[in-house]
Amino acid sequence: MIIKEIKIKNFRSYYGSNRLSLSKGLTLVIGDNGDGKTTLFEALEWLFDTTGEDRKESHISEKRKAEMEIGECDVVSVNITFEHDGEKEIEKSFIFEKVSETNFRTKDYKFVGFFIDGPERQSITGDRLLNMCFEPVIRKYCLFKGESKLDVFQDDDTALKTLVDTFSGIRQYDKLVELTEVFEQKSANAANRELQNDKKVSKQAKELNAELNDVLNDIQNIKKELDQKKISISEFTSKLELLEKNQETSERYKDFKERIKGLKDKRAKLAGLAMCEYSTNLLDEYWILRSFPSIIKEYSAKVSALSKEKRRLDIQETERRAKEAGEREAISKIQKLANDFVPLPWNLPDKETMQEMIDEEVCKVCGRPAPKGSDAYKYMCDKLNDYLAHITAEANKKSLVKEEEAPLFPNSFINELHARQIKLSGETEQEISQITYVISDRLEFVSKRKAELAAVDKQLKDLENELNDLLVQSGLSPDFLDKSISDWTGFFEAKSRAVSRVSELETTLKFKENSRDEIREKLSKLEPTSSMTQVYQRVHTAFERITKAFANAKEQNINNFLQLLENESNKYLQKLNKNDFYGIIRIRKTINNSARIELYSENGTRIENPNGALKTTMYMSVLFAISQITTLKREQDYPLIFDAPTSSFGGFKEDTFYNVIDTIDKQCVIATKDLLVVDKATGKKVLDYDTINKLSCSVYRIERVEPFKEKDLSTIQTVINQIR
Amino acid sequence: MAAEKLYDLWATRNPQWEKRYEDSIVKNFCDYGRGATSMREDRGKVFGGGYEIFIVAFFIGLYFKQKRPLIDDTQKRKTFGQPIQYWGNLDSVKGRKAYPKLREYIFTALIARTDIDFIALEKGEITARKAVDMLMQTMEEYANWGFHFMEDKLTDDPNYFYRETAFLEVFLTFDASVSDDSDDDEPEPLD
Repeated sequence: MIIKEIKIKNFRSYYGSNRLSLSKGLTLVIGDNGDGKTTLFEALEWLFDTTGEDRKESHISEKRKAEMEIGECDVVSVNITFEHDGEKEIEKSFIFEKVSETNFRTKDYKFVGFFIDGPERQSITGDRLLNMCFEPVIRKYCLFKGESKLDVFQDDDTALKTLVDTFSGIRQYDKLVELTEVFEQKSANAANRELQNDKKVSKQAKELNAELNDVLNDIQNIKKELDQKKISISEFTSKLELLEKNQETSERYKDFKERIKGLKDKRAKLAGLAMCEYSTNLLDEYWILRSFPSIIKEYSAKVSALSKEKRRLDIQETERRAKEAGEREAISKIQKLANDFVPLPWNLPDKETMQEMIDEEVCKVCGRPAPKGSDAYKYMCDKLNDYLAHITAEANKKSLVKEEEAPLFPNSFINELHARQIKLSGETEQEISQITYVISDRLEFVSKRKAELAAVDKQLKDLENELNDLLVQSGLSPDFLDKSISDWTGFFEAKSRAVSRVSELETTLKFKENSRDEIREKLSKLEPTSSMTQVYQRVHTAFERITKAFANAKEQNINNFLQLLENESNKYLQKLNKNDFYGIIRIRKTINNSARIELYSENGTRIENPNGALKTTMYMSVLFAISQITTLKREQDYPLIFDAPTSSFGGFKEDTFYNVIDTIDKQCVIATKDLLVVDKATGKKVLDYDTINKLSCSVYRIERVEPFKEKDLSTIQTVINQIR
Repeated sequence: MAAEKLYDLWATRNPQWEKRYEDSIVKNFCDYGRGATSMREDRGKVFGGGYEIFIVAFFIGLYFKQKRPLIDDTQKRKTFGQPIQYWGNLDSVKGRKAYPKLREYIFTALIARTDIDFIALEKGEITARKAVDMLMQTMEEYANWGFHFMEDKLTDDPNYFYRETAFLEVFLTFDASVSDDSDDDEPEPLD
């Protein structure tokens, strides 16, 4: 079967009708992630699926669904036209109808094949035509999604048998082997029966037969145990090989885990340091006072001025009061000067002396009598009155002066403010003026920690990506890697025990087989009296030899097939790894009759863990070889369709790979995101024409139609453009 | 009346603010009106008690040297639960530090920026109560302008203050140096 054309309509992102013509050799379908490569692949998977009616709503183009009116119908279909003893066509389709805003009904599922018979085009059920032209057993080796599914023998113990059955004609041998075994058994029984009935050798024959039965039982049991042990050894070996093969992966995994843990610790610390309560620090750390120094200055200036003013007023008042006192003194001085004489001070003589002089009517100052009614007497009386008035006036004056001396400033708020000014100056003012630096230092510190944090985040992301790549490439789960180290010793010991048991069993088996052969020899050497018994013996010997011959032939046949597969595979491996190391493929039969693809160096050393690209080309070579054998044995071709088989290739290897596969004599479709390069001007991925132009194959570019909404599936549409 | 201090009188007061900022600003950025015990983090608020955003608003007005008289209708004004003397006593709030000294700086700023005839006050010609009234008015008017400023920013971009550095950035725009325009630089006489 050679596919000539693929038509896809309304299948998922393939909105409307889409068409892809395939060449007989390589067809490249180039598209980036999400452009629709896998959908193309899955459309073919859907078409080739003959297990039942599948008309899931998820197959319908969301874009088509979104634009439909209620009641409107359309079709989802995938169709291939192919060459297989003439042109044929297969189509799978179903109708979908919009029944409400959110609901769709699917109906009229059809799977039909068409072929040309004479002048007419005939139809036939799709699965029948498919099975006729593309046997299910071969279909298994047609579609490959991703790099990890290329090993056809992995996880499929029947794969080798199926292949051998399909291509080596061994099935006829199976029947013959079975048949000859029956003949051999029957002839043995007949010969024995005759011997035991023979008069001459009956006793001996019975003894030997009993002995033989025991030995055969033993041999059967030993073989059973041996098989079990060999299977165990094989299992332990493959587990150990897996561990060994992944030792490097395991070590790298451990290293990644430790580095990730270290970075996560560092991240947690940095996240703590990078934390800053910018808003509450305005209050809690007094950052709000950053611009406060000028206010302190305003305050100080104001309070200083007030203090100064208060003191000035105070001094002024004191001066005023002093002046008032001075003025009074001066007036009295003037009064003194106004008289001709200087009178005695008002207090001389004192009150008692004055009273005594009046009572005695004599002036004791001048020594002359001063009788009542005289001027002198009157003078003395006036003087006393003057004295008393003066005393009173003085008393009054004193109280008056007291009232006038009430303080100018009864309050001391300015002193309070002044005390605050003193408190604010010095260290406090210094502290506040530092706030601006505290903030800038802190912001700088936080921004540095944040930069470090971003760097750590990037490192973490890179490491996690690398770890992920490691897991994807190795195909191992974290669980497996976490415990693989501890399993190692257990597997190793179990295998050692099984190996030594096998060696014991093999020795015993050899011994028992020798005994068996000896007994059989003895039996055959018995000389029965009856000539008929002798005939039976000879017939049995003949069947024994025929059975052995068929068994050997069967074994030889499998080995021949494996040899053929190996040879063909190595031819492709050599082609696919031009100018590079490639080794030798060996396909080894395992104890449970499955097969294993292994790579060896010329000197016989097994290459335990070939790199991703080599491994991929190794498995692909086997696939090409199977396809080649199909062509040889069945005179049939079928396409090999790969979805993203080269994800572990590097740029250089890619170029070589496509150059080689370009000339491959097989129909091969590869959907890939290789051969895309980033356009420096637009930042978008564009076709790598430098490499593509060196190829001769058909090239398609599949792309999402822009613009599309990232979260809206109904805006996604794939278009196919033929580049060459 | 003997040793009464202006600061003490002032600290017993409770400033007024316009109710219209209650929902748009105070409740938006503070745990205002929801009980004092819950933690700020629980609610994703920028600040704790309502007075904290008032302080921020006050300093914005102060540094911009912009006042805005409060609405005349006293029905449209509110006060906070705690008088000034308790502001910043945060010892029981997780993840926060007390800032009692900030009250004194606010007082200092009010003295510097309120036009009180201190000589008359000192002489007893005006009462201390009257002087404190004037200090409160300055405080309220600066804060009122600050609220207005915030509201303005929020009108342009409702998420403006939800960037973690938004409030700090406002304060980083102000000059932190001491202005040199003063002519009172002559030292005080020491007498």
